[in-house]
Amino acid sequence: MKSVVIKAAVAFGAFALAATSNAAEIRIGVAEALSGGAGQYGIAIRNGFQLAADEINAAGGIKGNRIALVIEDEQGKKEEAINVFKKLIVQDRVLMIFGPTLSNSAQASFPIAQASKVVAFGTSTTADGITAIGNYVFRNALTEADVVPVTIKVAAKKTGFKNVAVFYGNDDVFTKSGYDNFRKALADQKIPVTATETFAKGDVDFKAQLTKIKATSPDALVLSALIAEGAPILVQARQLGIKIPVVGGNGMNSVKVFDLAKGASDGLWIGSPWSIENPIPANQKFVTAYQAKFSNPPDQFAAQAYDAMYIVAAALGKVKLSGDLAADRSALRDALPSVTHDGVTGPFVFRQAVDRSGKPAGYDGKQESIVSVTKDGKYVIQK
Amino acid sequence: MEWFAYFWAIYGNLVLTVGINSLLALSIYLTISCGVLTLANAAFMGIGAYMSALLTMSGGVPFAAALAAGMLAPAVVAFAMAGPTLRLSGVYLAMATLAFGEVVRVGILNAEGLTGGALGLNGIPQSTEWWHVAAALVVTMFALQRIRRSKVGRAFEAIKEDETAAALMGIDVAGYRMLAFVLGAALAGLAGGLNAHLTFFIGPNEFGFERSVDILTMAILGGTGSIAGPIVGSAILTLLPEILRGLANYRLLFNGLLLVTIVLLLPRGVWDTARTYLVRARPLRDQKDRTRC
Amino acid sequence: MLEQQLVNALTLGCVYALFALGFTLVFGVLGVINLSHGAVFMVGAYAALQTITRLHLPIWGATAAAIVASGSVGLIVDVLVLKPLRRRGSPHLIPMIATIGVAIALNSTSQGVFGPENLRFPYGTIPEAAVEIAGLYVTVLDLAIIFTSFALMVALKAAIGSTRLGRALRAIAESPKAARLLGINVEMLFHLTAFVAAALGGVAGMMIGLYSNAVFPLMGQPMLLKGVAVVILGGMGDIRGAMLGGLFLGFAEVLSVAYIGSTMRDAVAFGLLFLILLVRPQGLFGTVVERKA
Repeated sequence: MKSVVIKAAVAFGAFALAATSNAAEIRIGVAEALSGGAGQYGIAIRNGFQLAADEINAAGGIKGNRIALVIEDEQGKKEEAINVFKKLIVQDRVLMIFGPTLSNSAQASFPIAQASKVVAFGTSTTADGITAIGNYVFRNALTEADVVPVTIKVAAKKTGFKNVAVFYGNDDVFTKSGYDNFRKALADQKIPVTATETFAKGDVDFKAQLTKIKATSPDALVLSALIAEGAPILVQARQLGIKIPVVGGNGMNSVKVFDLAKGASDGLWIGSPWSIENPIPANQKFVTAYQAKFSNPPDQFAAQAYDAMYIVAAALGKVKLSGDLAADRSALRDALPSVTHDGVTGPFVFRQAVDRSGKPAGYDGKQESIVSVTKDGKYVIQK
Repeated sequence: MEWFAYFWAIYGNLVLTVGINSLLALSIYLTISCGVLTLANAAFMGIGAYMSALLTMSGGVPFAAALAAGMLAPAVVAFAMAGPTLRLSGVYLAMATLAFGEVVRVGILNAEGLTGGALGLNGIPQSTEWWHVAAALVVTMFALQRIRRSKVGRAFEAIKEDETAAALMGIDVAGYRMLAFVLGAALAGLAGGLNAHLTFFIGPNEFGFERSVDILTMAILGGTGSIAGPIVGSAILTLLPEILRGLANYRLLFNGLLLVTIVLLLPRGVWDTARTYLVRARPLRDQKDRTRC
Repeated sequence: MLEQQLVNALTLGCVYALFALGFTLVFGVLGVINLSHGAVFMVGAYAALQTITRLHLPIWGATAAAIVASGSVGLIVDVLVLKPLRRRGSPHLIPMIATIGVAIALNSTSQGVFGPENLRFPYGTIPEAAVEIAGLYVTVLDLAIIFTSFALMVALKAAIGSTRLGRALRAIAESPKAARLLGINVEMLFHLTAFVAAALGGVAGMMIGLYSNAVFPLMGQPMLLKGVAVVILGGMGDIRGAMLGGLFLGFAEVLSVAYIGSTMRDAVAFGLLFLILLVRPQGLFGTVVERKA
């Protein structure tokens, strides 16, 4: 891992050096959590951006201009996110900012980007209310609201479950909003819930809740968790003799589950616009390139970051950069909503959201989702 | 002046955060000066933050009133729990307040309908201006200075030095400890209200164990022998990650090592040790400012 | 369901006890709240993991590696950081702040070297499958954890209670100055205690890393909070108390999940802690030991 960091740092250094030698470079800010509890997700996201930016530059950049990433660590803390955003906007004079990693940080820092008229683009921030902040806010992180109903429908059809128990992390925005979406979808599809239990981030033991769930005899378990807790939950569930299928949220869409929950990872249903097994050429090329560059397979976070960079590149292709920072930032914002992109997460368009008073505000992503189930250490896409 | 506008655009938030953290550190300083070690101030900050934010967001209550409510709410809670809790002392009191803090955090987490639970409160109006924080800090410092020099302050010091002796001298130990505790809670609540209206968003996880430990660290690092100490400590701990930003991956490592080094070299806290060296002519007076917890 | 929950509670309780044993030892003998215990816990887990994945040694080799690695870290911290502070007679909050710095440094180093992702012990390091006995599901690891924690507790109690070394430690716990006057080599024993306590933490890290299938740089942090709770419940510095406190917390958590609701779990656990402290500050199982200078 250390060698990867060094290689990445050297690559970035050389890259930055090369970038500065060119007269017109496009400075794009990347504010992600590179340390702390959210570090594992932030680093994957940064890697996705890096890969995409390197590819674009290798192909000649955007109309001859190279992308220069200005990467800062916001540590997964909202105060840091604010500080980093300000620095990127005022001191580094970036054209736009990708990030931050956590929804909490986004809610604290996006208003600043909006006020400064700088595009803020989240690729992992799925909480409600983020795009309501204003029309400079974009995200391609699919909120589970679109994905979850499809996942449930397909899983129910294929496994025939009639009722479910629900288990979710109630102290994390990602897993809690996932739960809210699950609950709504279950109610809409009229699937009764036999038990609802919660866990907290950092928990190591889930047997108390799982035992309680088992006692209510559900046909399936709906799990809104990130991989760090999700994998041990799978293992402990199987250890308690709970053999029912598990329907997971976005957080469970990572090949790490096959390692972390080895022997217990079969029967997990997930839905997402991205699947590592998706055979479309763009995706396979991405997976191979990512694995080669970072010695690890990509996950959903990396994939969405990768596509996000291409989406922004497409928008920049339509914009004529004048050198006037404020004008260029606005021009980018104006060009983004109409971008469509067919990337590793499939066809993508933007859809405008509304703010609290109902007026049009920021932009969410609109994509189809793929439902897969795990079997023998792989995700198998279900049609 | 343009330089200043530029500076403020980048670092304004950081400066205000130092100010708010100073208020928090001072809230612990206040209780420590009476020999009360509390780890609940993060929770009181949270109560103040949520109270003031809920008022401005739903009721359209003016900022000043919301801040006042944000000070009152934790003070009331502190008052309610102080009676039995303050009979403890030392580490046991610290742990009891820590446990209480956790209960509050979980309470906020679960009171979804009111607080939004894990999703937090979003879209809080950014009402905090620089002069709110500056004024709060100045007034607090002034008030603390006055307290220190008054009968109350002397009682605090007596209690901190030796509770039994103080009681024998006729000082209402329980009453003064309660006063310090409640005032500390109010101060933490003020910091919470200011913070909430600075960062647009608050969530329950910001007000737990980690924050309490941070606050304590800031106070102790700067030195609890004087009012300036906690402020210096807050400044150091808040600015350190920024200053070390250039170190990228090694930043946290340096942060930790620096903390250890400072503690080793300056055991009475940065400010108190610095003062001793600056004021060599008056050794006797400085000897009295021993940190004792 | 109840029987399974009782088994769950027993295992969880022993998990907590394992962590708390080392933690309470440091407090009892060295008088320091060692907030770097979570970090040495993590070091043990990584040491064990690397031994198995790179050196391909079996679990016993990994255990030895955890003991050596964590113990060494604990010893180094004692020699470099805690000893100078002892020499100066710092009030016991200062060393606590120093251990916070150590924890930050260790956690970030581990993140830099091993990466922030969750790792796990290779499949098959210990048998994973659960055994069904009379409708109850138990794994080999559950039994190993229960056995190890009780065995360690018994061994520690015997060592401290019956041997000369143990008597010396108890003397130090009561009054280091007096112990020195009695001719006990206090410094050496401090170092030894630091080593043993950290080694205990390392073994706990390895076992909990195995149990939770999650080895990551910040894995010690959540345990720290629970560890503090256990040590308070059991009485600071009380070995048997750490065991009993761990079990108590485990049962309180599991039973509150089973019969009250999982969202209230932490509130119940810490609420109980708070109430217990109000009634019995020395903890449920501890005896009051007033530490003299």
